[in-house]
Amino acid sequence: MAVPLPVRRWHADSLIKAFFGSNALIAIVVLALITIFLFREGFGFFGKNLANIRLYRRAGLEYVDILRDSANSHAALSRSLNDIRKRAAATESADTLSRFDEFSTAFSDSAENLNGLVSDAGDKAVALRDALALLIGDVDHSGENSEQGAATPPIDEAGTIAALRANTATFATTAAALDRTIRDLLKTAPSFQDAITKRAFEYWTKKVDGYLASLPATTKKLQAWNPERPVPAYRAVTSFLFGRDWITASFWQDWYGIIPLFVGSFLVSIVALAIAVPFGVASAIYVSEVAQPAEKRFIKPYVEFIAAIPSVVLGFFGIAVVGQTIRHVSQSSFFHWVSFFPISERLNIFTAGSLLALMAVSTIFTLAEDALRNVPRGFVEASYALGANRLQTVGRVIVPASLSGIVSAILLGFGRVIGETMVVLLCAGNRIAIPDFTQGLGAFFQPVHTMTGIIAQEMGEVVRGSIHYRALFMVGLALFAITLATNYAAQKLVARYRMSIG
Amino acid sequence: MVIMEKETEHPAPPFEPQKVAEPEPQEKAMITVSDVDFSYGAHQVLFDVNLEIPPRAVTAFIGPSGCGKTTLLRCFNRMNDLIDGAHVSAGRIELEGHDINAPDIDVVELRRRVGMVFQKSNPFPKSIYDNVAYGLRVLGATKKSRINEAVEKSLRAAALWGEVKDRLDSSAYGLSGGQQQRLCIARALAVEPEVILMDEPCSALDPIATAKVEELIYQLRENFTIVIVTHNMQQAGRCSNYTAFFYLGRLIEFGATSKIFSNPSERQTEDYITGRFG
Amino acid sequence: MKIRTRQRIAQTTSFWIFRLATYTILAAATYIFLDIGIKGSRTLFTAHAPFINVPFLTQRPQTLFVFDYQGTKYTLSDSEFRVWKAQHPEEVEATSVAYSAGGVWPCIVGTALLVIGSMIFALAVGICSAIYLSEYSQNSRFIRLIRIAILNLAGVPSIVFGLFGFGLFVIFLHWNVSLLAGWFTLGLMILPAIITASEESLRAVPNGLREGSLALGATKWQTIRKNVLPYALPGILTSSILGISRVAGETAPIMFTAAYALRDEMPWQVQHWTDFVFQGVMALPYHIYVVSSKIPQNEYTERMQYGAACILLLLVFVIALTSIVLREKARRRLSW
Ligand SMILES: Nc1ncnc2c1ncn2[C@@H]1O[C@H](COP(=O)(O)OP(=O)(O)O)[C@@H](O)[C@H]1O
Ligand SMILES: [Mg+2]
Repeated sequence: MAVPLPVRRWHADSLIKAFFGSNALIAIVVLALITIFLFREGFGFFGKNLANIRLYRRAGLEYVDILRDSANSHAALSRSLNDIRKRAAATESADTLSRFDEFSTAFSDSAENLNGLVSDAGDKAVALRDALALLIGDVDHSGENSEQGAATPPIDEAGTIAALRANTATFATTAAALDRTIRDLLKTAPSFQDAITKRAFEYWTKKVDGYLASLPATTKKLQAWNPERPVPAYRAVTSFLFGRDWITASFWQDWYGIIPLFVGSFLVSIVALAIAVPFGVASAIYVSEVAQPAEKRFIKPYVEFIAAIPSVVLGFFGIAVVGQTIRHVSQSSFFHWVSFFPISERLNIFTAGSLLALMAVSTIFTLAEDALRNVPRGFVEASYALGANRLQTVGRVIVPASLSGIVSAILLGFGRVIGETMVVLLCAGNRIAIPDFTQGLGAFFQPVHTMTGIIAQEMGEVVRGSIHYRALFMVGLALFAITLATNYAAQKLVARYRMSIG
Repeated sequence: MVIMEKETEHPAPPFEPQKVAEPEPQEKAMITVSDVDFSYGAHQVLFDVNLEIPPRAVTAFIGPSGCGKTTLLRCFNRMNDLIDGAHVSAGRIELEGHDINAPDIDVVELRRRVGMVFQKSNPFPKSIYDNVAYGLRVLGATKKSRINEAVEKSLRAAALWGEVKDRLDSSAYGLSGGQQQRLCIARALAVEPEVILMDEPCSALDPIATAKVEELIYQLRENFTIVIVTHNMQQAGRCSNYTAFFYLGRLIEFGATSKIFSNPSERQTEDYITGRFG
Repeated sequence: MKIRTRQRIAQTTSFWIFRLATYTILAAATYIFLDIGIKGSRTLFTAHAPFINVPFLTQRPQTLFVFDYQGTKYTLSDSEFRVWKAQHPEEVEATSVAYSAGGVWPCIVGTALLVIGSMIFALAVGICSAIYLSEYSQNSRFIRLIRIAILNLAGVPSIVFGLFGFGLFVIFLHWNVSLLAGWFTLGLMILPAIITASEESLRAVPNGLREGSLALGATKWQTIRKNVLPYALPGILTSSILGISRVAGETAPIMFTAAYALRDEMPWQVQHWTDFVFQGVMALPYHIYVVSSKIPQNEYTERMQYGAACILLLLVFVIALTSIVLREKARRRLSW
């Protein structure tokens, strides 16, 4: 008898499948959510930043900054004189030195009027800015941004701006006077015995000439300045992406430029990779091609275990031991010949980079060893059969065949390092500045701040919804984009490598 | 490598079946295959197969390897559903007149009715008892006594009871290769299927274990419809009633085993059977 | 044969360089372990029975007071100092060093809670999605997309997870700084690793078991539940143990989502049981961050700094070792 086959029950199976499927979706959902929430919290940044920059112009802060630049250049020249003085102390006679001191005092005094001008104008501009900020309401300012929007005093915007611009004429006369004073002063400059000092002073004189020549240009800039000229909207983006200053909670003007943070992150990663790549690749080759099986059995888990060290412990170790050690080493007479030693800060790019190298080594080792081990044995045997020795086989067959695997290991190591937070937060020195590259390799021994570090450090302290808060989310977004791109490139490479091996 | 078989202690007499009864096609076919094409993705491996598998008899599929025997066998309980892109691209397969590929068919029920024994024995990593009881439990049986009964019955039917009755609770992995395969047969019998598909069940077994399994298949014929894929000509000759010869994805000849082996009507069949190729 | 000699020398030299590089890495790591281990064990262990510094493990962090009194130098914890002051009414000039006395009990508890919650979440979701990927999915574009997403999620920096958790859980869902927010943030962070490990274990179960079960008329779910998952589970759990060590050691994701620098109540001291998941906790890694960045390095702070770092390192070490041992065992036992 033919029993009919029963019709399919809509039993739980399809429901169960849907349940598991929805779980599998979570990776996509989370990636999307991360993007959405970083944007949600971060995107308002651009609007606020634009308002911030517009206010900067409208309130005349920009104008004052032109003046201030001029004053700052003068101050920089004064500082250079101090450096020359330090060098001269060893070689010059007491008489020359005292005349030189007189000279430099006179030089720094010459800017008195200019500095006064800057601080007066600055006060006016800040007052106007604060008043306008209250009026506009949505630009929050670090300082005394209270919620008494109703009781705003009347603002005489036009009057203040006019008063500010009156400074243009004052500046012109001050500049002329400055020019005269300095030129007279230069004639009284002492002459030095020591050739190097002499050369340094001549170089300084040239810079002074340049400075004096720039004064009329500054006047022109002041005249051309116009508070009504609109700030183009793209400035909100470019001032973030290409801005060289990250200044927050300042009474003057906040800037949110990612460049110093990016450069910091990047330099730390470069140091880490410069150490980790040779060590990681060499040890991967060693373990996969040279080491005895017994050696392998303990080296591999050991190096993999390094990856499990909590980064905060590494960071603590950096503070407690590594930074101090590096400074001691830099002070030893053995390294006297290194121009930038002894270093001044124990926590710097190199400290953080050398610790991160240890983390990256583990990643690079594991992945590179994998790639090396997966080179088809046929290639290797063919090479031996042709009479090549082990080194030649490693160099000509095994490494080239696994090269894209190794490169992708390095990329993933980079991704790991640039996204690492605790080590850089604790050991990179946390000074927001682009290192001074004129020092050559010494730049790697200066403290920096990083993208990850700044988020970790400032997120806890900012006012929710403020421009600063949003800027931190934008930094997070930039970090997210960088690591995604790195990861993606690494995956593409691995895919290609799989294909080429077959 | 010598496998230490338990069976070697009581060597089974070489299995010599009496002459197989001639086919009596008056009974309705158990499985009807009409005009079936089958493809893995774009790669077609079966071409226009027509076949009627008679009930309560052993049908053997023979042919050189790669000709599609396994594929066709796995169509009968839709095991090919598990392979990405594998599909019957044309034709019908019917179980007792019902299209098994119809959209509203319950595959789970189909597989219960059409059991399968695999080429590589695949006992579960459980005890012998649990292996046999698995199918019953999956079907919802909970009563201990009923399960006990069915386990014993299936093990007896698979001629394994005597060898394992004292160690039902030990792991199935402790059995020899031949015993494992018979355990898989017992496992399939336990859910009382109507059809049992066997894909080269003896390919991994030594001759003595093979003889035992063949004898078992021969006895099962009385209660089940059996389809067996085999590489081994003698095996097909010894234990099947009907034989289908496949070549390059086509069914070349189908008929009573005695006829196929003594007097094939196709050249290719004769060449294959006499070992001129294959 | 001069070339041969030269080649041999080149080979020997290079291999020695490789060897040196390898052992330099090991030496550097060993140095870290020894430094933290030795200095930390001064805090963790004592010379006399019970040989373990019980107060350090059972007290909460306190401020340390250092002062001279009648020629003797006292270093007392906050609570001890109060008792002492009650007995000595005279004024003393005491220097206070934050966090440096007491122990790390609340941090251990907080980390344990964070690990348990986030691992439960990550394992539940991770195993389910691995089951889908290995058992149900067919090779389609959508599945490839999911796989790409998982791989990319694995590379997202932990601080970005922290930001995300802050934006979604703390602010958008108003959970504030809480265990719940920490659980989800850490859980999502570890998820890709769990999915990958689980899928690997599931795929290691031979296909014959699935086919055998299906051929007996079992449904797909019955097959998975009875004949796949039980054999994959040990592997899943052992490889997930490494995930625990990562969750236990991460600081950045919990900084703004779950961790407090100092909290007086223990997690079970809540008004109402529903408040339990909505409270922030102290956590060991965050505590290490706080004590290594917010207080100076000196003889008084070293005890707490090294002690806390050593405990965390020990914890991670034990976890990793367990996972390696279990993995070896499982490998030996389950050979199909
Ligand atoms: N899963 C699969 N995917 C793609 N092609 C397959 C698959 N299984 C078998 N084939 C192909 O189908 C053809 C028939 O295979 P099969 O049915 O296993 O042959 P037989 O069992 O007769 O040896 C062969 O050419 C084989 O390459
Ligand atoms: Mg086959």
